[in-house]
Amino acid sequence: MGRSGKLETACRDFEEDLVLYYYGEGSGAERSRVESHVKACSRCSRFLDDLRKLLPQMARPEELPQSFWDNYYREMVGKLAVHRERSTWWRSFFAPMRLWVVPAFGTAAIAVLAVALVLGKGGWSFQSNRSQQNIPSEILTDAKQLEFFNSMDMLESLHVLETLDSTKTESRTSQSS
Amino acid sequence: MSPEDLPDEELVALCQNGEGRYFEVLVRRYMEKAFRIALDFTHNTEEAKDLSQDAFLRAFSRIKQFDGRSSFYTWFYRLVVNLCLDHTRRKGRVVWERLEREADNPSDSVELTDNTSMPDEEAIAGEAKRRADLTLKAMPNKQRTAFLLRNHQGLSISDIAKVMKTTEGTVRVYLHRAVAALRQSLVEFV
Repeated sequence: MGRSGKLETACRDFEEDLVLYYYGEGSGAERSRVESHVKACSRCSRFLDDLRKLLPQMARPEELPQSFWDNYYREMVGKLAVHRERSTWWRSFFAPMRLWVVPAFGTAAIAVLAVALVLGKGGWSFQSNRSQQNIPSEILTDAKQLEFFNSMDMLESLHVLETLDSTKTESRTSQSS
Repeated sequence: MSPEDLPDEELVALCQNGEGRYFEVLVRRYMEKAFRIALDFTHNTEEAKDLSQDAFLRAFSRIKQFDGRSSFYTWFYRLVVNLCLDHTRRKGRVVWERLEREADNPSDSVELTDNTSMPDEEAIAGEAKRRADLTLKAMPNKQRTAFLLRNHQGLSISDIAKVMKTTEGTVRVYLHRAVAALRQSLVEFV
């Protein structure tokens, strides 16, 4: 068994850099900064040694026989073939339609729109008559009242008309004299 | 030039133009890596095979969506890792129950079932592996992913950042934390 007791940590400012150094990351300047520190610091040196001993062991992959990979590949090709077959069937179902479906749909949409416009125009007047017929008598009374109020407005502006009329008469008199 | 010699980008372009059979070259090229990542997450050969094959099927059906902004392998690794993380989340509860059982009774663990006949070194290596697996499983998903992609798959920090859709600084932090945790749990085996 290895060492026991309290775990010695690396210098706080260097621990992350040591991990990156181990993995070969970092710029040249960063790496030489870590190297010169490790030479002088036993704690960081030991930390780096630990990483060198522990981490490669963990990455060691389990060896699998070639037959496993052959089988894997064969299965995968089979699954891809099924997938392609399905998508081909789906496409072939829609493929004949694709040539005519867009223009046909467009023409149909225009035709429907034209019919709706023609019928809609006739239907509008019919509907407006019908809507007048359906108006309750209280509201129709109100409409009559509205006409009455409009004529009252005209009466109120009668003096303006009279002023205009008198101005015209005066101008005619001055022209004739 | 045989299809095996074509770079990923050309194979992807051929697949995007309806030449789906070229995807099989990408399968051959990446099947081992995809399987290994899945195995690192699942520790189960059958599950790893299913997950990695699902990732290939997903990549094949989405190949037209691949826009070439990242490399194919970064894009594909992301699919594999996401499937593995989804799988881990789904199975999380079961895994934790098993871990607790193993922690209570280490002799239940697969690696140590037959350790009476093992030489000392092998037994220690088995115990170290079991401890490392437990530590990895107990880690937050992002730390574990960063560690596995760097330590087991050899991806660069920059590629891991692309796979995990995060910054390189964040990946460095994840990696440091993961390594520090593993060292702490394994130092007695050094």
